[in-house]
Amino acid sequence: MIVTGFRAVLWLILLWASLPAAAQLAQFKFDVPYVPTPYVTVDEMLRLAGVTDKDFVIDLGSGDGRTVITAARKFGARALGVDLDHNLVIQSEESARQAGVADRVKFLEQDLFKTDLSQATVITMYLLPSVNLKLRPLLLSLKPGTRIVSHDFDLGDWQPDRKTTVRKNVFLWIVPAKVSGQWQTRLPFPPIERIVELDLKQQFQQLQALAHLNGVPAQVWEPNLTGDRLSFVMVDTTDRENEASLYFDGRVTGDVIEGEVTRGVGAARSTVKWRAVRVKR
Amino acid sequence: MAACRVKAALLGLALELVAVLPAAGADVGGESYLPTPYIPSTNLAVDEMLRVADVGPDDFVVDLGSGDGRIVIAAARDYGARGLGIDIDAELVALSTENARKAGVADRVAFRQDDALKAEIGDATVVTLYLLPNLVEKLQPRLLAHLRPGTRIIAHDFGFADWTPDRQVMISKNYYLYVVPATVAGKWRIRAELPGGEREYELDLEQSFQRIRGGSRVAGGYLPAFDAQLAGDRIRFVLVENETSHHFEGRVAGHVIEGVVRSGAGRKRAANRWRATRVAS
Repeated sequence: MIVTGFRAVLWLILLWASLPAAAQLAQFKFDVPYVPTPYVTVDEMLRLAGVTDKDFVIDLGSGDGRTVITAARKFGARALGVDLDHNLVIQSEESARQAGVADRVKFLEQDLFKTDLSQATVITMYLLPSVNLKLRPLLLSLKPGTRIVSHDFDLGDWQPDRKTTVRKNVFLWIVPAKVSGQWQTRLPFPPIERIVELDLKQQFQQLQALAHLNGVPAQVWEPNLTGDRLSFVMVDTTDRENEASLYFDGRVTGDVIEGEVTRGVGAARSTVKWRAVRVKR
Repeated sequence: MAACRVKAALLGLALELVAVLPAAGADVGGESYLPTPYIPSTNLAVDEMLRVADVGPDDFVVDLGSGDGRIVIAAARDYGARGLGIDIDAELVALSTENARKAGVADRVAFRQDDALKAEIGDATVVTLYLLPNLVEKLQPRLLAHLRPGTRIIAHDFGFADWTPDRQVMISKNYYLYVVPATVAGKWRIRAELPGGEREYELDLEQSFQRIRGGSRVAGGYLPAFDAQLAGDRIRFVLVENETSHHFEGRVAGHVIEGVVRSGAGRKRAANRWRATRVAS
């Protein structure tokens, strides 16, 4: 059958009219619409996360692959992008080949909630606030020290560890170690041993701390938890004539904290190793 | 004068006395004038002030209201710094000189009887303040006018009312660290070697203490100076043009700024020199 000129035009009009609708339909398939992150912001996210060639970056909702490819091309990292959109995954793979980083990056067409994130040292994302919140428990369960960067949208009441504004707001979170509970440590400062009992409550990286020094309640100052790194200050009043601050700094591994504690400042300071164990969760 | 000074071992007691004593304060020039009581800072506070100010062997520490000289003596003894103590009380100046001799630091410290509000302080790299709020407030314009940019001011218990500290530490008490900012408000002409060739910007800066903001009017728009920061004589800000971020870092010396501008991100980041001259205040 010969299609008349009129019919051909009609077909074209129908095809044209149906395109936006199809695109809209495609958007409904996914939780998050595809809005590419500006390149300047991609740079800023990776810079704020301090990405190096030792990192494995996972981009959640990788779109056209620009963050994954930039992480490999400019920062030397290995990277994985996940996206639900088949066409964007194919396009990303092609872009990676053209950028000469195909050996260091990978793109998977899959649900980000079903993606194994445990190997990531850095997570990048540009999702919606509701999706961020849904993702939060998963992010908090990652290895302490894992860095998470996002722009525009934050993670609710989990305050970012750092924030910069270069055209847009870029946020960095560092997954905190789980430190809540009761800890005990002995400090071998002469002339008498100090026994420190430390009670920690945590809300993300924010700490509430209470301590006992040789059984006497003692304040804990400047508590800080960054990844697996815990530091705080106590005032040692054991010797009234020679009061000094105790500066604790340690690394948390499961139910053990190991590090150094310095008593005093300047030329008068002395440093010993300390090890605390969790006695109650 | 010296007779009016209240010697109290406890801050609380001293404050109580101040509260009770206003009637005893002489009326000078219609303005109620109350001399600062001498309150010895505890050794712990001395430790923290010098630690937070990061005092080292290259520093010249000036203590305004030096009392028995303990801050200046500790700076010399524990940190190898040089020091000068200023106090209005001749007896305390004599006592300080004697204490310094006993501590074996007489060659590196000096004490002078003078009014803290009139003393010559321009050579200081660190100024320590253990004074009451009214005197701290009165000192502020003088400190800003006479101290070089980058000079650290460390105050204890009482900070400046309208100047946000660069750092605040709470260990039993509050410590406020201020870094004297360079004066950068005004219009600057920047000349920078950027990857795309030489570029000129006119940068307008507004300043309130160390807080700065501004931007550059360019053909077809305005480039805000993102993440603009001033710490002493060190300035930094980011200009974004053509989807590339330019991170400017420099040192302010009077009407000239010189430094390095890093363009882009990651390993391919280009570093170039930039220079700015002030064209209007």
